[in-house]
Amino acid sequence: MVPVFFSYFSLVSILAGVLTVALPNPVHCGLALLTLLLHVAGLFLLLNAEFLFVIQIIVYAGAIVVLYLFVLMLLNLKTDERVLHHRYAVILVAAAAICGGLLLMALRSPFQGAKGHAPVEAVLQDGGSYAIGITIFNEYLLQFEIVGVFLLGAIIGAIVLAKTPTAVDVEPE
Amino acid sequence: MYDLLVILIPVFPLLAVLINGLAGHRYSHHVAYRLACGSVGLSFLCSVAVFATTLRTGITREVVAYTWIFGGDLVVNLAFLIDPLTCVMLLVVTGVGLLIHLYSIGYMHGEEGFTRFFTYMNLFMVSMLLLVMGNNYLVLFIGWEGVGLCSYLLIGYYYDRVSAAKAATKAFVMNRIGDAGFLLAIFLVFVNFGTLDYTEVFARAGELSTATATAIALCLLIGAVGKSAQVPLYTWLPDAMEGPTPVSALIHAATMVTAGVYMIVRNHAIFDMAPVAMTTVAWVGGITALFAATIGLVQNDIKRVLAYSTVSQLGYMFLACGIGAYTAAIFHLMTHAFFKALLFLAAGSVIHALSGEQDIRKMGGLKARIPMTHALFLVGTLAIAGIFPLAGFWSKDEIMAHAFTHGHYALYAMAVLGALLTSFYMFRLTYLTFYGQSRVEPHVAGHIHESPGIMIKPLLVLAVLSVIGGFPGVPPEEGWFHHFLDPVTVGVLSGAAHQGATHPIVLLMVVATVIALAGWGLAHFLYSARPEAASQWAARAPAAYRTLFNKYYIDEAYDAAFVEPAKRVGRIWDWFDRTVIDGLVRGVGGMTQGGSALSTWMEKYIIYGSINVLGYANHLTARSWRRLQTGMVHHYAAIIVAGLFILLHLILLW
Amino acid sequence: MTLPLGDLVAIIPELIVATVACLVLVLDPITPPSRTHWLAWLSVASLVACFGITVSRMDATVTAFSDLMILDPYAGYWKLLLYVVTALTILLSLAYLRVERIHLGEYYGLILLSLAGMMIMVSAADLLVIYLGTELMSLSLYVLAGFKRFEVRSLEASAKYFVLGSFSSGILLYGISLLFGVAGSTRLSAIAAAVGTHGLDDPALLFAMILLVVGFGFKIAVVPFHMWTPDVYEGSPTSVTAFMAVASKAASFAAFLRVFLEGLGGLREKWYALFLVICVATLILGNVVAIVQTNIKRMLAYSSIAHAGYALIGVVVAGQAAADNETRALGLSSVMLYLAMYAFMTFGAFAVVALLRKGGLEGEEIEDFTGLAKRQPLAALLMLVFMVSLAGIPPTAGFIGKLYVFMAAVNAGLTWLAVVAVLLTAVSAYYYLRVVMVMYMREPDPSAGLVSRLTTSPALTLVLASAFAGVILLGLFPDPLVSITTSAVLPFK
Repeated sequence: MVPVFFSYFSLVSILAGVLTVALPNPVHCGLALLTLLLHVAGLFLLLNAEFLFVIQIIVYAGAIVVLYLFVLMLLNLKTDERVLHHRYAVILVAAAAICGGLLLMALRSPFQGAKGHAPVEAVLQDGGSYAIGITIFNEYLLQFEIVGVFLLGAIIGAIVLAKTPTAVDVEPE
Repeated sequence: MYDLLVILIPVFPLLAVLINGLAGHRYSHHVAYRLACGSVGLSFLCSVAVFATTLRTGITREVVAYTWIFGGDLVVNLAFLIDPLTCVMLLVVTGVGLLIHLYSIGYMHGEEGFTRFFTYMNLFMVSMLLLVMGNNYLVLFIGWEGVGLCSYLLIGYYYDRVSAAKAATKAFVMNRIGDAGFLLAIFLVFVNFGTLDYTEVFARAGELSTATATAIALCLLIGAVGKSAQVPLYTWLPDAMEGPTPVSALIHAATMVTAGVYMIVRNHAIFDMAPVAMTTVAWVGGITALFAATIGLVQNDIKRVLAYSTVSQLGYMFLACGIGAYTAAIFHLMTHAFFKALLFLAAGSVIHALSGEQDIRKMGGLKARIPMTHALFLVGTLAIAGIFPLAGFWSKDEIMAHAFTHGHYALYAMAVLGALLTSFYMFRLTYLTFYGQSRVEPHVAGHIHESPGIMIKPLLVLAVLSVIGGFPGVPPEEGWFHHFLDPVTVGVLSGAAHQGATHPIVLLMVVATVIALAGWGLAHFLYSARPEAASQWAARAPAAYRTLFNKYYIDEAYDAAFVEPAKRVGRIWDWFDRTVIDGLVRGVGGMTQGGSALSTWMEKYIIYGSINVLGYANHLTARSWRRLQTGMVHHYAAIIVAGLFILLHLILLW
Repeated sequence: MTLPLGDLVAIIPELIVATVACLVLVLDPITPPSRTHWLAWLSVASLVACFGITVSRMDATVTAFSDLMILDPYAGYWKLLLYVVTALTILLSLAYLRVERIHLGEYYGLILLSLAGMMIMVSAADLLVIYLGTELMSLSLYVLAGFKRFEVRSLEASAKYFVLGSFSSGILLYGISLLFGVAGSTRLSAIAAAVGTHGLDDPALLFAMILLVVGFGFKIAVVPFHMWTPDVYEGSPTSVTAFMAVASKAASFAAFLRVFLEGLGGLREKWYALFLVICVATLILGNVVAIVQTNIKRMLAYSSIAHAGYALIGVVVAGQAAADNETRALGLSSVMLYLAMYAFMTFGAFAVVALLRKGGLEGEEIEDFTGLAKRQPLAALLMLVFMVSLAGIPPTAGFIGKLYVFMAAVNAGLTWLAVVAVLLTAVSAYYYLRVVMVMYMREPDPSAGLVSRLTTSPALTLVLASAFAGVILLGLFPDPLVSITTSAVLPFK
């Protein structure tokens, strides 16, 4: 069954990805993106990564796509004329072919894969989420903290760029 | 004490640079020029003392002032090498430099930026002194770049003239091409010897293979060709005449442009190992000597004629280097410094008298109005034309004689022909300027006046030197000058220098004199006896005349071959970087209108998407983000991906 | 799990910078507008403290967080350089922001966060940490680029930088994930081991390597990943441009060298060729396109591309498989030296640009420098020195830097590369001296209303004096720096 599901999830992901960038109506694009994210979540499930599966759905499919849709609705974007030409199709096909070739080439390599450092018993007993927690707060603690600082920077940046200019800003020296 | 004396030589002008440069605006011009000239005067005194010591003891000294780079394999001292060659150069640089500084007080009087002028001049002196005193290639290179920079600043001194700024840039960039060669030579020396000190390099020069020696020598030659304005990098020097006349005299005649000659003589140990490079040097010199002389025949700007004659005389020095007559090269360098400085400064005096007029067609008959300047200019002309027994005769004759006695007959013929032309165009210049009918414009004619004493006195000294400057080198190849320089300049090739029989030398002297007189006679005939003949001759061969007048169209050729293509490539790339995207999108849009009917549904949507994949960001923001909407961003991204593919193919194909 | 104290001690400078960044952000709202410059001085003070700590640890090599971070002289060297550049940026901003009427306290906080990211980059020994450091640095820069919120160009620069930066980060991350797949770890040491066992022809390894080249190539702005540079440099506030051109480039070079020499050192034969091609292309394009620029910030952007090309020569030397360790170490130390020299002269040039004002707007066109020598002799002299140094004329720092790089190339037998680079240096004189020409050889045009004034303040004086001193002193006394770089490259021998 796994190969079947894998094929299904992968193919739909690719198709949804193409549609996300190809559809004319921004809201449709958002929905295609949602489809994409859900199917990627499915791939995680196939890999026994329940935690990632849940996070993928809650954060991406839930929060982020909803945010996109809100923004689209608030801005009331129109579908405007797009410029198309089939010369681009050739380029696109060529690019896809090259990318595919690259992937095949890369996949020929004997991957070792990461086995993870959490003990198997722990994973079996307490579940993957527990093991991930242990790993993040042991092995990846430093990275975790750096991500914290990074997010702080991101929030501040968003505020700075979004803030309405105050009187001080326009006042002469 | 002696070491201190040596170190002080460049330090005096440096101090003057700092004081005048930083505080020059706080005091009057009088203080500024006293400082500037005083510092050069002190340097000159130190140089004389150093020269006297060297003369007495005959030893070569190295004086370390400061250890500069330390780390890895590279240790370079800011150190000075005092040997006979350095002494001669020191005397020429500080001596002529002092005279020109004094002259400048009068010439630059009342000019705006007087203090700035002297600051640059002193900075030039510092660089030039480093150049001739350094005991290793790096100090030489620093001086080398320094004089280039000062030359740049001084050519552009009259910045209200657009041509001056252009000439300055041209000079600098052309020099940089030469410098690139020089820098490579330095790298090659370092790689082969592991050091940059002359003493060690020259001691071990014999270990070099012929190929390596040739490579180094040719790279050095490129540097020398750029700095000394030889074919094919000579075109900057005539343009450099845009600078004030004292600058032309000091930098573009007497000192900086001779740095290439000095550098070749200094490196003769390497050149001696590379016969091919030697031949190249000789031919570059010979061709330049003749080529520049032909252009000089028809120029009408008094300073440009002198500039072409400088190029031509530098060609003689290169020729001398190329045939192993190093002492003769330095000898000619010295005498040339005297008479060419004299000529330039006298020309400056003429220009001064005529309120800035430089066109010899608008001169004539000045002999009576400015007799002193006329006499001085005439001395210079006689000296450069090689009239016995002035300085130029001895040094030029020695080069030609050496070429003849060592079997370089073709070079000898070129040199003789060049000498004939030199004599001709210099007397042409003299006749057109000082004799015949006055063609001076009426509004200028009233103001003609002899220059003040501060300008004339240095000229008198130079005139005396131009007359007697050749005697240290008499008799040819056996004179006092040769014995003094021999410890430095005798190399493998020139070792056999002292066997020329006396008869041919005397004979050759006679030939040289006859040639010089012939040029004079011809000039007299054309420009004094029958003035109308000259234009008739020119009219008879218009193509030749035009070619010469336009300097063989070399400038135009360089522009077309190098400058314009480089700019065009730059513009194309710049255009690509900026607007290819814009055009692409617009062009594609145009095509679409015709072809849209053919587009299938699938194509439409896929392509649509590919163009707008990153376009959403701007839809979400203000209208003002127009440029982003031209699609630049995703084209940039596409170029990144294209780069990725190129790298991939490189890896696969390498 | 409890954090080992030793690990925290090891990253004290990073902690100080991150903490002060937060402190500045918190203090900003409660500081009266007339006192915001205190925040800048606080930031500078923290940098001075970090400088002291890093100097005191220069000789030791310590690893922390089970080899995620490494503190060796190599990292120490880069950190010192980054502190200096950041401090100069903050001081320059003090004057610049006032003139530009940017009154946001977040500015200094973001500069410090960016610095924290750079510090993590230079001392990380793990690809994931390097990636996070890069992101932290870039994210702050994206925001900083858009700080002139009333100027379209600034916003545009910010957006372009953000979109393309994210794109390149994606590529970098893809490379990292492939390496993780091959090696089973993101540690550089583990990757080096995997390279050893997999050999040179493993396709995934090669592909990952190319992706890393692209990702880092974008950060150091080399051809063909340079397209963003002129647009972003032109649009960003000039103080931020200076910071980007110098600090971000230095930090990216540092991380990039560590990854390629330590992690992918075994693939030297392969990446050597790539960098050779990129290096030559960068040198040619940077120098030639700079000739036709009329905007000084664009010109300096292309010049910074060209300078990345010169620095890459050292990387090529360091990657030469045939060369011995000595030669390769010389190549690496020449890169380190070159970037330090580059930092001072480029920063100085941007500082002068930042303070040249034309009316109420910034004087950014090269033509705006016309007759500067008459109007502002001191500013013109400083600009002259920086331009001369950028053109590589002795006895300035730029000359020493180039000398070392070219020497390394010739020493490694790459004479032809040195020839190309030297010739392009001759070309570069043309566009640098054009600035000198308009400053010194043209009369100021009074009719055009170019009443330029140099905004002066003690902080600004300090910035210009430091950059000037750096250019001159490193030119005259390069010895200390040379010996530091020489000892700092020892771990890579």
